[in-house]
Amino acid sequence: MIQKKICMVGMFATGKTSLVQKFVYSKFSEKYHSTVGVKIDRKQVEVEGTTVNLLLWDLAGKDEFQDVPASYLRGSGGLFYVVDGTRRETLEQLYALHEMAHETVGDVPTTVALNKKDLTDQWLLRTDDYDTLSDHGLHALGTSAKTGEGVEEAFLWLAAATIKS
Amino acid sequence: MPEDGGKVDPLPEESDTAPDVKQGPSGLTELRRLLVGQERRRLEELERRLDELSLTPAELADKLPDAVALRTARDKQLARSLAPTLQDAFSESVRRNPQNIAHAIFPILGPAIRKAIGETMAGIVNTINRAIEHSLSLKGLKWRIEAWRTGVPFAQIVVKYALVYRVEQVLLIHAETGLLLAEVTAEGIPAQDADLISSMMTAIRDFVQDSFDAGSEEEGDLRTFEVGERTVLVEQGPQAHIAAVVSGQPPGSVLEQLQATLETIHLHFTNPLVDFDGDAAPFESTRSLLQECLQTVVATDRPTSLGLAPRIAWVVTILVIVVLTTLALRSAQRWRAALTVLENEPGIVLIEPERGWRTWRLSGLLDPAAAEPMRLLARMGLDTTRIEARWRPYVSFEPSLVLARANRMLDPPASVALGLRGDTLYAGGSATPEWIAGLVRSGPLPPGVTTVDVSGVTEILPPELAELKDEVEQHRIQFAIGSVTLDATARGVLDEVATAFQRLRGIAEERNYAAALNIVGRTDTTGSNETNRLLSQQRADGVSSILAGRGIPGAAMNAVGIGTSDPLSSTAATDQARINRSVSFLVRVTFGTDRGGTQE
Repeated sequence: MIQKKICMVGMFATGKTSLVQKFVYSKFSEKYHSTVGVKIDRKQVEVEGTTVNLLLWDLAGKDEFQDVPASYLRGSGGLFYVVDGTRRETLEQLYALHEMAHETVGDVPTTVALNKKDLTDQWLLRTDDYDTLSDHGLHALGTSAKTGEGVEEAFLWLAAATIKS
Repeated sequence: MPEDGGKVDPLPEESDTAPDVKQGPSGLTELRRLLVGQERRRLEELERRLDELSLTPAELADKLPDAVALRTARDKQLARSLAPTLQDAFSESVRRNPQNIAHAIFPILGPAIRKAIGETMAGIVNTINRAIEHSLSLKGLKWRIEAWRTGVPFAQIVVKYALVYRVEQVLLIHAETGLLLAEVTAEGIPAQDADLISSMMTAIRDFVQDSFDAGSEEEGDLRTFEVGERTVLVEQGPQAHIAAVVSGQPPGSVLEQLQATLETIHLHFTNPLVDFDGDAAPFESTRSLLQECLQTVVATDRPTSLGLAPRIAWVVTILVIVVLTTLALRSAQRWRAALTVLENEPGIVLIEPERGWRTWRLSGLLDPAAAEPMRLLARMGLDTTRIEARWRPYVSFEPSLVLARANRMLDPPASVALGLRGDTLYAGGSATPEWIAGLVRSGPLPPGVTTVDVSGVTEILPPELAELKDEVEQHRIQFAIGSVTLDATARGVLDEVATAFQRLRGIAEERNYAAALNIVGRTDTTGSNETNRLLSQQRADGVSSILAGRGIPGAAMNAVGIGTSDPLSSTAATDQARINRSVSFLVRVTFGTDRGGTQE
């Protein structure tokens, strides 16, 4: 069995915890819980005939007072970025986050979840945003922790990428 | 440059041309030779040497080890020359990347430090151990009291309190990723989510390091943290950490073992640790190493947990308990035995026996004629000074006491024995007529006696009376078979009997005695009993009337025919029949009035 450490990285209130909760426990809560420090969950998945034990480090989101601590990122097998599709700035600040993370952990597989896709009327991302992400070498996927859309796919894609890397 | 002429060979060809100073070119040469000859020679010499010495790097690489070895064997010059360079190189290496050196010497650093610390601590530990042992023995006593008080088995109390520590779970964690490499759990401990725990532990450790060591040069380690009753010990290595979940109070030895195990793992699993990519399979074989860290230690495991003094205290306590129990048992046994003896003793009725701590209190009824209770108890070996007794007098109708009382009241001479059957007092033996008369006539009879029977008592007579009595009683009147006729011989005998009895009566009256003559008629065994009884009565009556005719008052005579019921005995059968066809005499002398035989 292979174990991989995956870090959930993103600005505050983008839905990192919700995505993990949906993926691991198939639960969704409308309530907002700010993560303090780090919360770790585990989910075992099968990708391409291999059992992978994902240890999901749900890190506290970055805000103006608090950076994502680099020490938590160390040793990550993959990074799971989360962007709030209804808040453009969370995408714009992602690039800086990515740069910081890249410095710490080097070239590891990443995926970007463009979250809260169920809120279609507030959705602010455009096609060229996907292109920019692609330019930065980031694979992106629309997700909704509420409906579960794209959640499983995003995690499985990253799991598969970590094995291949 | 100083000249070294001794080593520079002269140049023969130039020496040969030296004299041709007049030739133009040769003069120049000569001049050159004079001016720079010395230097040229030196240059040429150096050139020659360089040609000889020129070594390529490859050749040097071949020769260097040998050369170093040769020189090292010869003297210490090489080491001295290299020392400053090596020091510089080392310092530079440490300055640039301290981790490399630290990682390289990690496996040897631990044991060395531990050894040094261990020796220093040994003395302190000894002292602490002694203190612990002392406190443990006190605890042991407390646990025993608790076990005794609550009824919970002692072993459970020991487990409750004496579990010094138990290493429940040991995790081997990859340092960089926080992923679990291997894990062992103690038997009977529910398996935890080791992979989550190891990640969480790594996160906590990262957090602690970030929080406390931000900006500081030294790396701080989270080595211990407590969760409820459990302590988590974390030992960190460059590539992996080892964490132990311990319940109870782990001693330093646990940490030492963790360190040693971690070093061993670093030594043998260097490559798998460095190349770790999430696959923990290569670390399966570390489980046996981790297994050794799982320990359960209870206080009673310590062989020396009970010192000499507490052990002696225990022995003394047990001895005291044994002695006290034995004494208590013996006391109870004596008490029961004493009660049994007193209860079985006639004339003693126990009402409220009471056994105190030191003294016994007895109370009840006591017949004055009964045995002295204290004497009975003293005979049992009891200390009568510790016995208090309060007796109320009473009269017991126990036969032995009735008899004892009779003996005391009647005070019989030694020749008389008293016996009791029912409520009749029987006297046996022999006594003077006076005593017998006194007994018969005695006023109140002893309690429990209604009748006195003195028929078994033979009178003891004064000699002259005894003589006459014998004379009378030796006579026997013989009859022919079936006859009542008294012949001349019989009458002659009766004359003698009458004379002797009359004399006896006379003497007896002087002494205020009364004499009675019992005339007993018998028959042989032929014929029916009724016939024989009548015949014997007729024989006795016949004798009685003859004696009356010779002056003996009828009142002094008592003729009785007993047939064959109480025969006289003889050795020969024919003689037996003959002597029983007879009348014999029995004289009774009583004091005062006529004796009735019994007193009602």
